[in-house]
Amino acid sequence: MRFEFSTMGCPCALHVEDVSDDVAQRALAVTLAEVDRLDRKYSHYRDDSLLATLQRSTDAIDVDDETANLFDFAAELHRQSDGLFDITAGKLTRLWDGRKPAQAEIDAALRVTGWHRIEWRRPTLRVTTRHMHLDFGGLVKEYAADRCAELCREAGVGSGVVDLGGDLALIGPHANGEAWIVGIKAPRAEGKAAASIALPRGGLATSGDYERALVIDGKRYSHIVDPRTGWPIESFASVSVVAGSCLVAGSASTLAMLLGIERGGEWLRELGLPHLCIDGDGNVSGDIKI
Amino acid sequence: MNTTKRPSPSLSLLLAASAALVGQKAHADETSTAPTVGYRFNVYDEDSFSGAPAIGSDKRYHVDTQQLDFSGGVGERNTLNVDATHEVMSGSSPWYSLPGPNNKPIQVLSGATIRDHRSAISASLTHDAGGNSTTTGSASYSTENDYHATALGLEHTIPLNAALTLGFGGSLSHDIIEPTAAELFGRIRHAEKNTYSAFGSLSWVLNKASVLESGVQLNYQAGFLSDPYKLATVGDVQLPDTRPDRRTEAAWLVRYRLAVTADASFHADSRVAANSWGQKSLTLDASWYQTLPGDWQIIPGVRYYSQDSARFYAPFFGANDASAFYSSDYRLGGFGSVAGHLDLRKQFGRWEFTAGMERYHATTRYALGGADEANPGAVSYTRIFAGLDYHFD
Repeated sequence: MRFEFSTMGCPCALHVEDVSDDVAQRALAVTLAEVDRLDRKYSHYRDDSLLATLQRSTDAIDVDDETANLFDFAAELHRQSDGLFDITAGKLTRLWDGRKPAQAEIDAALRVTGWHRIEWRRPTLRVTTRHMHLDFGGLVKEYAADRCAELCREAGVGSGVVDLGGDLALIGPHANGEAWIVGIKAPRAEGKAAASIALPRGGLATSGDYERALVIDGKRYSHIVDPRTGWPIESFASVSVVAGSCLVAGSASTLAMLLGIERGGEWLRELGLPHLCIDGDGNVSGDIKI
Repeated sequence: MNTTKRPSPSLSLLLAASAALVGQKAHADETSTAPTVGYRFNVYDEDSFSGAPAIGSDKRYHVDTQQLDFSGGVGERNTLNVDATHEVMSGSSPWYSLPGPNNKPIQVLSGATIRDHRSAISASLTHDAGGNSTTTGSASYSTENDYHATALGLEHTIPLNAALTLGFGGSLSHDIIEPTAAELFGRIRHAEKNTYSAFGSLSWVLNKASVLESGVQLNYQAGFLSDPYKLATVGDVQLPDTRPDRRTEAAWLVRYRLAVTADASFHADSRVAANSWGQKSLTLDASWYQTLPGDWQIIPGVRYYSQDSARFYAPFFGANDASAFYSSDYRLGGFGSVAGHLDLRKQFGRWEFTAGMERYHATTRYALGGADEANPGAVSYTRIFAGLDYHFD
């Protein structure tokens, strides 16, 4: 059974099999409720999200465990990427959403960007700069996919896949024990798959400029922005990673995109997770075979 | 035996940081199902006997070991490991000791140089049940001229919550001893022994960079536990090494892993044990794993070990020492040892080259609190190894 829905600005789907209609409906209901909850809590496009509340105040605020875990994880990614992965760069990401901003706007956004402008001592967060935009992009959708898969298992689904805009979390293998065959999106070719792979467990996430890139005067600008320069990164067209969870897969693919073709490729090899990178000329690298 | 491939330092950090959010199932990434074949050559060479006065050949044990191993996925959730080992052993070993001037022991080494071959095969299958729950079954068989050993083991891990994993298991082995030249030297002709082990451990992810594991192990041995090739001097005569036919041991193990940076990690291990023969022992081991540019990894480490002697150990016994048991085996005497080791790994595409060396020195002086009996047979050795692995896609 396949249910389609839309959340966090992406087309999504829930695939389940070998279950009664009741269980399938319950799985769909918990999935929709969970993505809605996380979207309300962490969306950087909503003024009523927890992130919006946190960034509006310069007071120290104690956050709940789930949010603290996300901040801890984001801090680790920031450290591993030498500052390239930065949840404080929401203002910059917004600037590049659909248009090429003026350098003065970029400079202004850079003044409210930077991990050094927040104080994070679990469970207390203080945003020291007004007008900062916190952005959990690269984390929340992937985390939501893992959470939905977990809730579907608890709802009695043994076999299925959660697909949140191409970021996939496995609920469980096919009823006969075989792995789900899932498609990795081809960059710059709407709706086409670059590769089909077996997903025996965990998650698959793809990060790239195939969906939300900006094209101005024939030049593509990816939606992934270097928080140090304020300009989009010149990197792979897409990076896909398979890991034990969609969250780890998503953070690995995002970090590889941020690190660029040379360092990102090297970092992925060192990481040791199955991956597939496609550059702007369509050259393919990585250990997932097409 | 944990036979899954270690995750890279960067992945370990990511997994630890994500564990609080998505639970330990992310650790399933540690399992690599791509097949790997490897070959290792290991040379173990004991120092010539020089410490105390000795009679007999001073050339001690030398072992050349060749090992071929395979690991790879079987189905989607199983990892199979198979190891085949062949060893060639030569040299002489401490036989018994005699009282010398001032009651200082004189070590007598076995006259004839031993030359023996040992062949062994072991296999283990790990089933990943998902959610970081794994079950490993293992079996091994080892055979040489005078010794045959068969062992079976089973272990299981269950995640209790995002940061805590319980592990437990057990093993048993059955050994058959049929000493050479039994008639000539009056040795036992056929003997057997069984070993039963059980263990339990808890592993905590303390924070995103460190893991602590603590475990308890119980071992029980029953059967012929003496060494048929060793003698003990009692008064003016040499009697066969005679030990109790049961031994119970309890051990407490602690392991600590700290990812210091994305490229460096610190490993510290300790083991404290006591057994029913009156021996207590302590092992402390510390290693540093450093990844260097160009796919190099260097692993320096140090190890300290100390044990005190078994109740029935002495380098030699007086004629009036009334005891049912006698042993002058240096392995049952008190001693301490210090070892330094250095391993190197280098990856060339799908090939991985490893080489390393270890220098080990044991003496009664290093024993915690000093050894109460002399131990003329205490050994020092050098071990070097080199190996090559090929990782298939």
